[in-house]
Amino acid sequence: MSTIATAFSSSGPLFQGRFAHLRCWAYLGMMLGMSAMAIFAGDGYVEDNYIFQLFSLEGVKWMAAGAVVGLAYGFTVSPTKFRAYRFSEILVPWLDGVVLLVALMGVYTLFEPSQAMISYEDQSNLVSGRIVMAMNVLLLFSAICYVANLFAPEGFMGNLGTATAWAGVYAGGSALLLRWYESYLLMDEAIGHAPVSNLYEVFILLFCVICVIYLTLESRHQAHAMGAFVLPIVACGVFFSIWLESIGQNDIKPLVPALQSYWMKIHVPLNFVGYGAFAVACAAGMAWLTRDALERRRPQAKMLSIFPSLKQLDHLAYKSVAIGFPAFTLATILGAAWAAEAWGGYWSWDPKETWALIVWLVYGAYLHARFSRGLHGKTLAWWTVIGFFVTIFCFVGVNMYLSGLHSYGQLT
Amino acid sequence: MNSFNLILKPILTRIGSMPVAILLLVLLAVASVIGTVLQQNQDQADYLHQFGPVWYWTFRALGLFDMYHTWWFMSILGLLMFSLTACLIRNVPRFLQEMRNRKGTISDNARKHVVQQFDVQFNDKNKAIAAVKDSLPGWKWMETQVGERLWLRGDKGRLHKWGYILVHTAMLVILIGGSMSVQFGFRGNMAVPEGKSGNEISFLKGTSIDYLKMPFDVRCDDFTINFFATGAPSEFRSTLTILEDGKEIVTTDIIVNEPFYYKGVRIYQASFGDGGSEVTLKLHRLNKEGNVDIAHSRIYTTFEDPYSDVSLEFQDFRPYNVENMAGSGEPKDFKDMGPSVDFVIRGSGLKPVLIRSFMNPFMMDDENQGSWLQMSTTGDARDFKTFSLGLDFSEPQEWALFQAFMQRLPSNEKASQEENLNAFRAALDEVYPEGRPDDLPMLGNRVIRALQELPNAPWPFIPVLEDFNQTYYTGLQLAKDPGMDVVWIGSALLVFGLCIMFYVAHRKVWVQVIDKEGGVVCLEVTGLSNRNPIAFELEFEELEQQIKKTYDQGATT
Repeated sequence: MSTIATAFSSSGPLFQGRFAHLRCWAYLGMMLGMSAMAIFAGDGYVEDNYIFQLFSLEGVKWMAAGAVVGLAYGFTVSPTKFRAYRFSEILVPWLDGVVLLVALMGVYTLFEPSQAMISYEDQSNLVSGRIVMAMNVLLLFSAICYVANLFAPEGFMGNLGTATAWAGVYAGGSALLLRWYESYLLMDEAIGHAPVSNLYEVFILLFCVICVIYLTLESRHQAHAMGAFVLPIVACGVFFSIWLESIGQNDIKPLVPALQSYWMKIHVPLNFVGYGAFAVACAAGMAWLTRDALERRRPQAKMLSIFPSLKQLDHLAYKSVAIGFPAFTLATILGAAWAAEAWGGYWSWDPKETWALIVWLVYGAYLHARFSRGLHGKTLAWWTVIGFFVTIFCFVGVNMYLSGLHSYGQLT
Repeated sequence: MNSFNLILKPILTRIGSMPVAILLLVLLAVASVIGTVLQQNQDQADYLHQFGPVWYWTFRALGLFDMYHTWWFMSILGLLMFSLTACLIRNVPRFLQEMRNRKGTISDNARKHVVQQFDVQFNDKNKAIAAVKDSLPGWKWMETQVGERLWLRGDKGRLHKWGYILVHTAMLVILIGGSMSVQFGFRGNMAVPEGKSGNEISFLKGTSIDYLKMPFDVRCDDFTINFFATGAPSEFRSTLTILEDGKEIVTTDIIVNEPFYYKGVRIYQASFGDGGSEVTLKLHRLNKEGNVDIAHSRIYTTFEDPYSDVSLEFQDFRPYNVENMAGSGEPKDFKDMGPSVDFVIRGSGLKPVLIRSFMNPFMMDDENQGSWLQMSTTGDARDFKTFSLGLDFSEPQEWALFQAFMQRLPSNEKASQEENLNAFRAALDEVYPEGRPDDLPMLGNRVIRALQELPNAPWPFIPVLEDFNQTYYTGLQLAKDPGMDVVWIGSALLVFGLCIMFYVAHRKVWVQVIDKEGGVVCLEVTGLSNRNPIAFELEFEELEQQIKKTYDQGATT
């Protein structure tokens, strides 16, 4: 089990030194090749089938050329420089993860039913639905493991929780990619679009983002106990998403004209980096409050031995906000840029926009309280928890209770 | 200068202080919540109905129905700008001062509290110093001589404080851009029917509607809607021509998400509707003669029937009506029900009702179920109920057959089935002299249904859509926003500043070079970071090894 955990936490010789460095630059070179193809190649960037262009012979050529350029640059970096490979060592696990996701998706497509068996009216035989169900099971199981870990700290439950959470992330991420591919199988490719267009899809994205942010923090700060707060939040989301599926909200539907824009692919995922990070901050806050209460009431509790210290938890909450706040700010700005292109103004005081502003103010105030006032501990822990409730309302509540320009997020 | 210190400075300090800023932000947040919970810019009558007179007038006095444009909401934003300015004036000089003042030494007392430190010994002083500097490339170094002692100080990420300055300046820039948009910009709607042109936009101002003339005319040459196979619209496209003094300047297509930019004004595809389509209806008189009249009209006009006091007020026309014909739980089955026209039918002694009349008969399993219409007694489209008319009115012979049958139908109630059947046969012979129609069984059913349904109609005629010549109007939004670019500059500054603030740590290293006997030097290295202590700890641990390694390999500088 621990070997699996090590593989997931991206440590070991594969992720260090020259090999990681060269791999990283090869990846970056490939990305450069992709961008170059979009700009310079014959057909250039075509909104909808660019992804498929990449997997054509032409795409492979461009990417290979890019990879060679990247590798060549990688060789020029002198290995004696202080922390010469630091950048690559940080970046390479992420890029590896992306490659693995794409590879998984490629494998799933082999199990896709034949074209004759696929219809828009009945999408139940598409493979992605089953992978999402597997993700649901993995994440729920992981939540149970993490909570069990609190009560049996010496056991293997913590590592099992980490491993299943990672497995859930890969299942969810690859299922989303597959859904993107599947959207082109329906209705003669007329409705293909990125899988970030309705509540069901963005929920899967949100689970993955929350888990990835948390698991990264966990591996760097040995914060296993915090998982017992993060994964239950994810589990609540999983139940909601299962409910969405049960009322038929999981169908791939054509995009309304307002959403047919490349902005959707940027604005929506970036927003969920923000939401996900705020969820992790909330979990850190809850862990802080729990540890605080435990220390006062049952200082002998065994659980305390695996909890990060109060100071660490405080720091973890801040770290999450430090990830979420810039992402959320950028997402809101890009949303404004999209609005300027689609709705005739960058800011319309639409309920979703206004609530995004409120969320931004809440976390902005958190940062001021922390740095200008020097607040720490209990107040800030509560702040992250309450801030997350505001975030939830901004995410789901606005769609369900308030009408406005963002109405496509509504249940239909 | 003195008066500045006495009067302005305390005000600046007070308004630029954190509690005031927090208060303003909280007020802004609370007001925003109200603005989202209370739907903005709705019909005043709806508000009155919803809240009752007392609350309606209270809310209206507070401007809550158009809250984001009230003087008090603007004041909050204005005060926020003022507070930000004061904050910047107060703090920027201090920050700059701190950035300039770099203390070259660190006292022993201060060093005691710093976790990150180590001591190393080397034989060659100059080589050792060079090794330190080489180990941290890209750091900014400063040398201080205190008495006999040499101190080195290295800095990385000194622009950290610029993060704060940039972020707060950016907020100010964004707010300035926003106020420029409000002051000098406009945003309004224009509905242009196909083939016509317009040059006036309308927009809400408070609770009333205001108009503004554009410096050019916009003509809508064409408007089209494309559909997915599900019947959901996939694209709204307008072909527009810009005219100045009657001269055509440019012709272009716009779709949602791709506006057209002309002379500082962006033209957006916002909505569409019926632009006054021509419709032709057949009025089948429910009298002895059963004659059929033609009613020509346009949408948004009223047709007055010359033979009765009934009028038809045409409201909307739709060329398609795609409906899901499957029951709940079954796979979806989309079907186009064909064109329809909506009108309100009025007359003395008649309850006014909204009717949606369909041109095509209702087909179920390829069997003709006759013409149909939908009726709403409330005038609300959601309350539509479907009624069958029996006959297929798109087939003129069926109405003739019905009339012929009615005339032959025995008048006494107790007529035998045989007599009724004979009447029907005679009517068929008259209307279809060349032979019986193919779908005779269904035709019989339709006539019988018509016999049951038509006499119940309260109107003197049955109106059925016969023909149309459709025109759309395209709903454009025109906006001029001189503050937009300022907002984008502010936004870029904001993101840039945030990245510096969160991800650039200001790391400092002090090295005290202590000369010992025999040319040996001891380096006392101390490190501090204002962000991310854990990462810095790792880096600092590696630094000791790196300095030794570089020293052994022989530093280059």
